[in-house]
Amino acid sequence: MSEFTNTPLLEADSLHKTYQMGAVNVPVLRGSSMQLHQGEWVTVLGSSGSGKSTLLHLLGGLDTPDPGCGEVRYMGKSISSHGRRSRNRYRNREVGFVFQFYHLLPELTVIENALLPGLVGSGIRTDRQRALELLEAFGLNHRLNHRPRELSGGERQRVAIARALVNRPKVLLADEPTGNLDEQTGQEILDLLRKEHQAGLSIVMVTHDQKIAALADRVVVLNRGQVEETVSQASSAFSY
Amino acid sequence: MYQFLLTSRYLTSRIIPVLAVAAVALCVALVIIVVSVMTGFLDMVRDSGRTLMGDVVISYPVTGIPYYEDLMLELDELPEVVASAPLVETIGVLRMPYPRGATKEPKMVQIWGIDPARFDKVTAYEDTLMWPEVPDAASYHVLRDEQYGPVVETLDDAQRIAILRASLSNTTEVSTDSQVLDLGSALTGPEWNEHLRYVLLTNTGVLRDILEPDQIDALQRAISVEQQRDTAENTDLLPTSMAMERNGTPGIVSGIHVSDANYRDRQGQYQIRADGFWWLPRFEGALTTVPVDASGGTLEPETMIMPFINEFSSGVYSVDEIRVMIPIHVAQQMMHLDEAEIVDEFDPLKVVATEPARATMVIVRGQDGIDVNQLRDKVSQAYQRFTSRMAEAHPDSPQPPIEGVNLGLNILTWEEQNAAFIGPVEKERALMRTLFSIVYIVCAALVLAIFWAIVYEKTRDIGILRSIGASRPGIVWIFLLYGLVVGVIGAFIGLLLGWLVTRNVNSIHDMLAEPPLWLGWSFAAVTLLILLWTIIRSFSGRILPVVLGVMGTCILGAMTGLIFFLDAQGGVVIWDPAVYYFTEVPNNIDWPNAITTMIGAVIFSLVGAAIPAARAADIDPVKALRYE
Ligand SMILES: Nc1ncnc2c1ncn2[C@@H]1O[C@H](COP(=O)(O)OP(=O)(O)O)[C@@H](O)[C@H]1O
Ligand SMILES: [Mg+2]
Repeated sequence: MSEFTNTPLLEADSLHKTYQMGAVNVPVLRGSSMQLHQGEWVTVLGSSGSGKSTLLHLLGGLDTPDPGCGEVRYMGKSISSHGRRSRNRYRNREVGFVFQFYHLLPELTVIENALLPGLVGSGIRTDRQRALELLEAFGLNHRLNHRPRELSGGERQRVAIARALVNRPKVLLADEPTGNLDEQTGQEILDLLRKEHQAGLSIVMVTHDQKIAALADRVVVLNRGQVEETVSQASSAFSY
Repeated sequence: MYQFLLTSRYLTSRIIPVLAVAAVALCVALVIIVVSVMTGFLDMVRDSGRTLMGDVVISYPVTGIPYYEDLMLELDELPEVVASAPLVETIGVLRMPYPRGATKEPKMVQIWGIDPARFDKVTAYEDTLMWPEVPDAASYHVLRDEQYGPVVETLDDAQRIAILRASLSNTTEVSTDSQVLDLGSALTGPEWNEHLRYVLLTNTGVLRDILEPDQIDALQRAISVEQQRDTAENTDLLPTSMAMERNGTPGIVSGIHVSDANYRDRQGQYQIRADGFWWLPRFEGALTTVPVDASGGTLEPETMIMPFINEFSSGVYSVDEIRVMIPIHVAQQMMHLDEAEIVDEFDPLKVVATEPARATMVIVRGQDGIDVNQLRDKVSQAYQRFTSRMAEAHPDSPQPPIEGVNLGLNILTWEEQNAAFIGPVEKERALMRTLFSIVYIVCAALVLAIFWAIVYEKTRDIGILRSIGASRPGIVWIFLLYGLVVGVIGAFIGLLLGWLVTRNVNSIHDMLAEPPLWLGWSFAAVTLLILLWTIIRSFSGRILPVVLGVMGTCILGAMTGLIFFLDAQGGVVIWDPAVYYFTEVPNNIDWPNAITTMIGAVIFSLVGAAIPAARAADIDPVKALRYE
């Protein structure tokens, strides 16, 4: 465990997140803490409605924890202390999101969707080569000029992953990436993620599915708004 | 910039931006059309005021200004003045040549005594003259006049009585000769020609008893001419210049709507009633006016029988329906405003003084582009110099009126002169502008609503964009760009639409007046096709095509019905010349207004887009992502 003593790549430190439902406060996260180290794949397991997506959004800087109640640190620095500009930059460069419902822009073609983070981040300078490589690696080179609605679910999710990876982020945040796919297609997606992981990508994946959790280096369980380590898998899986 | 990519894709892959563009285009077109027509109308009023009476008018009604020729010399010395012309204005009664028979219709007219050459230098008089040649419709009757006129002129009273008795057998049988002669004296020349021709064709034998042999010879020559040709050849009926006389007799040039025999057809062309018979330059009219003496009292009415020389069409209905022009010296004689010698009461051979000729108006034309108010001031100063010079030159004669002393004297610009007419139009235009600023607001509200819908639909996309690092201002830009493009395209389409409608407003108006049936039938055919399509599509079980089909059928059916209804009604004339003074709907684009409208539309589109765009940018990205 000595290699984990240096700063984690991404760290959630006792996050609290409360949603307001009318007059009622609904606490979703109650001091959740977790760490992701460089090159690690952590799966967050939790039942539906347990706050997995919420946690992931906080980790990705898409949402902020309750004021003064915990923080997210990326390479040791709180992402909320950087200001809006750098939060946008953080989402654009350092992390990549993959969602259960793909969330592609319907009016854009496959290649355009994949190029979008590049365009958003740097104006007109895009790494077209990178996008093409990713799409080709994901077996989509014959689909480049198709619209998302012309693609199958698996294909769409692969485009979404290509988009998430185009800016070479260090962390991939995947929110039930197989949740909307049949078992076989889901497996293909997971294989694809594993390949990227082996190439050095750090991954936080959330799922409610015990079976697909097995791929990870480490599985943590989100329960009643808190993250509980499941020690058993952590040491065995993270051996290379 | 990803905003360009997204904006262009959002614009091209949805129907909703087409709606937004259409809304903007319609609003822009509406404002451009209405304000252009209004502005055109006002400009026509102003221009006509100018072409009818020059830039500045000096007027002293009824009594007139003596020594006006000296005044004009003074005026012509001003470098700003291009030309000036004297006028005598009064009102009178014109006995029209119609209808047939002894009773003729009198008409109230405004008489303008003019010097045509000088009048033309100040106004566009020559351009307003209606008949450069005998119109085809009247040609036949002109030929008859040519044939029978010379014979009729040689008839003596007995012959006239006989001819009238022969042609009007039932009415004249019981009358005495003097009664028949009275009736005959009321007839116009062309009517005599008709009676003679009628008797010739129906009762040649009688004619042989009535007429002298040389008259019969003349008639025979006329008949052979009639057999040779059907229409009048070049006649010297119409003067080749602006001359206001025929065969040495001074004549009348009347406004085109003075004669009830003229009417404007749906194509905007002037037609003459009754197959051209009543074409005015064939006839004579009796003009009566009441002169006024120096003390302001009225004298015995003066009547002159004068031929109609031509007609004029100024384009201003209120002028064309009432004004007749005669030579200024005739008007001066009739009004007793001509030069006269004043004799001693006890010794009529002793000339005490000469009364100078007078003009009730002097109209002045300034250099092009001159400020009329400045010109008016210059003219006013020239008038003062004129009065003081006259006081020195003719101390014992009647003096010209003095500004400020003789309240009837006015020196006005044409705008001031026509204020009663221009004022309401200006007010109407201001009102229109105000009303149409409401159209702008409606346009903005429409764009706002449409953009609200667009942004609402794109909420999830906004969440996605935020998740990959797009900033809030970045999101706002997408929709601002969207608004800009919709505004600019809408404005240009609106301009095109407005331009097309405005340019063709007269043909559209004519179409309303006379709906083309082919259009009706094509509408009917399309309606039927849509109905058929709807029925076929209704079997598919889907609702939308049926709803659209029924709506299309109803709308097109209504259009078809409207066309046939309008046709049955004989069309509608919205721009009635009697109401709108002008004979054509103005069809020039008011460019400053059009450009303002377009800029306004773009700004309102931007404003309409900015609000939902800002709202979009403020959406919590997580919530936006949860949108399904
Ligand atoms: N914007 C919100 N407002 C109110 N409640 C919310 C909101 N977002 C999520 N929740 C609630 O928080 C809980 C956790 O949601 P989520 O993180 O999506 O769970 P999971 O992804 O584990 O299914 C759920 O009970 C959900 O209803
Ligand atoms: Mg979830």
